[in-house]
Parts: sequence; C-alpha cells; structure tokens
Amino acid sequence: MSDKIHDRAEQLIAQERVEGISPADHDWLSAHLQDCAQCANHARHTEHALRGLRTMAIPMPTGLASRTQFRVQLRLQEMREREPKRRALWLACVVSWAFGIVSAPYVWRLFQWFGERTGVPKLVWEVGFGLWWTIPALFFVIVVFMEKMRQSSESELTRKSK
Amino acid sequence: MSATTSCLTANRSATLFSTLMADEAKSIARGLQKRDPDLLDHLIELYQYRLFRYLVYITGSKERAEDFFQETWIRVLERGHQYDGKSKFEAWLFAIARHLVIDWQRSKKAQSLDSLTDPEQEHPLQFANEKEPSPLQQVLSQESEENVQASMSQIPAIYREVLVLRFQEELQIEEMAGVLSVPISTVKSRLYRGLDALRGRLQGGAAS
Repeated sequence: MSDKIHDRAEQLIAQERVEGISPADHDWLSAHLQDCAQCANHARHTEHALRGLRTMAIPMPTGLASRTQFRVQLRLQEMREREPKRRALWLACVVSWAFGIVSAPYVWRLFQWFGERTGVPKLVWEVGFGLWWTIPALFFVIVVFMEKMRQSSESELTRKSK
Repeated sequence: MSATTSCLTANRSATLFSTLMADEAKSIARGLQKRDPDLLDHLIELYQYRLFRYLVYITGSKERAEDFFQETWIRVLERGHQYDGKSKFEAWLFAIARHLVIDWQRSKKAQSLDSLTDPEQEHPLQFANEKEPSPLQQVLSQESEENVQASMSQIPAIYREVLVLRFQEELQIEEMAGVLSVPISTVKSRLYRGLDALRGRLQGGAAS
C-alpha cells in the first residue's frame, strides 16, 4: 500500500472526529482499517486519546460556587443602590436640555441685552451663550467618565487584593 | 416505511430539542436583562464545573482559575444585557471567561504562563521551569495518573482549549469560532493540530 493511502486514512480518522465524514469515506476507511494494522493502531490511539479526554475529571474547589454567588449578590446590591443615582443624573440631563431648548430664545435675548448694557463685545456674549449650553453636557460627561474610572479601579483593586 | 417513520421522529426530536434550547437561551437572556438574582445563582450552580474546567485548561492553574471563575460571573452580571439568547449561553460564558484571561495575560505578560497565542504566529510562552511539574500537571495528577491528563498539560494552551471545547463541552465548530473570535478554518486547523499533538504525546508517553 502506498503512503498516500495511509495519509488519507490518517486524515479521515481525524476528520471523522473533528467534523465528520461522508458515508462513502466512512465505508472506505472501515475497509482500510480492517486491512491495515498500522492505520488501525493510529485509529485506536486517537480514540483512546479522545475517550481519555472526555472522561477526564478536575476536582472542583469546595465552596467556590457559593463564594461566587455571594460576591455576585453583593455586586448586584451595589449596582441596584447606584441605579437611582444614575437615573436621577439622566433625568436631570434630559430636563436641563429640554429647558435649554425652550428657553434658548429668551436666554439669547437676555445675553444680548446684558451685552448691550455692559458694552461687552458681541463675540464675548455669544461665547457666553454657547457655554450656557455646553456646560451641563460637559458636566454630565465628566460625571460619567469619573464613574467609569472608579469602577475600573475598584475591579483592579479587588483583583490585586487577592 | 418504519425507516421513514424513525427518520421523521428523529427529525422532530432534533427540532424539538433545538426549540427547547432556543427557548432556554431566550429565557436566560430575559433573566440576565432583568439581573434576576435567582437565575444568576442557578446559572452559577449549573455551569460551575464546566466553566472551572475550561478555566483550568486555559490558565493552567487552579488558583488562577478560581479567581477568573468569580470575575467571569461578575462580568456576566454586569454585561448580561449584551446576551441576546441567539447563541448557546455556555458559548457566551466561555467567551467572557476567555476575554478576561486574555486581558490579564496582556497586562501581565508573565513568562511563567502558558499563553493562548497561536504558536504558529507568535512564540508561545513556556512554563518557567520545565523540569518541575506545571500547575496544570499538579491539578491533573491529583485526580488521576492517566496518561491523557499528563499529555494534555504538555500541549500548548491554544490547542488544549479547542480540544476541551470540542470534545468535553461538545460545542459545534461554528460556536467555537464565536467563542474564540477566529474563522471556522482556524478552529478546524487548531483542532487537527491539537488532536495530533495529544495523540503524539500519548504515543510518546506510552513508548517511554
């Protein structure tokens, strides 16, 4: 028998276990394994390896699941405590933007009036008006960013403490 | 006639089974969305062994696997809303665990670690002292002296991982590609190389 035939048999032995083979290939392989001791041995070794792999056991540490459940519940409690704060922050942000849109024409006039009364250049009070709009959004971004930073440093600390 | 009937019954059973699995995944997704504490407790109980075993194989250490086990479930709680129930829950769970381990490996880059990088593309990190048994060997040998266990601890983590996912967890190749974030062809080639390496080690062990 040529090496090519053995190579094909070895390839099919692996393929059968990994992704399956066609019935025709299966029949060819079965016939070949009956005639070829070397490939039959190869198939036996592969089967032995996989059987061993499937039946292999790893000891589970005592109480790991209950310790994890406790940690998860603590974290859940912590997240729930923080939720109303976050909701309030979102609400404040939405209200602030809604109010900003509604009041924009009046605030513009107010800035204009203030600019004329004090003699401040037009560009300055226009920038002031722009800031009036962007400061709440900037504040919100800073708060969210700080919260994210705190969360990541907390999880890093937890890992280091172990 | 009876062959046709049995074939139809088998098809129906398979459809029913996949529907049940899909329903289960959807209900898990709904529970995670709501951060249901009872569901989380139940999932931890249910998947504890499978997740721990997977972590032991990819980290190569029981202690480290314990840390990542807890971190994985915390991450499941925090990111539960991202699970849509379209894939198997265990595939999503293993993907989370894997990402945590990879992030940690990237931040540490310890030379004593068995890495999850592809040995074909990058140089795999080796155990610090190859004469001493690795942490994984110690874990495995505690349970049994089987050759397979010793052989598993000697092959690169990247192959160990696919062998565990395919032959212990019985994930489909497509699901494995999702967990590992690699193409199906890569999963297959790792499986073939892993199987070859495992058999090679076993034959080598038997010969010596």
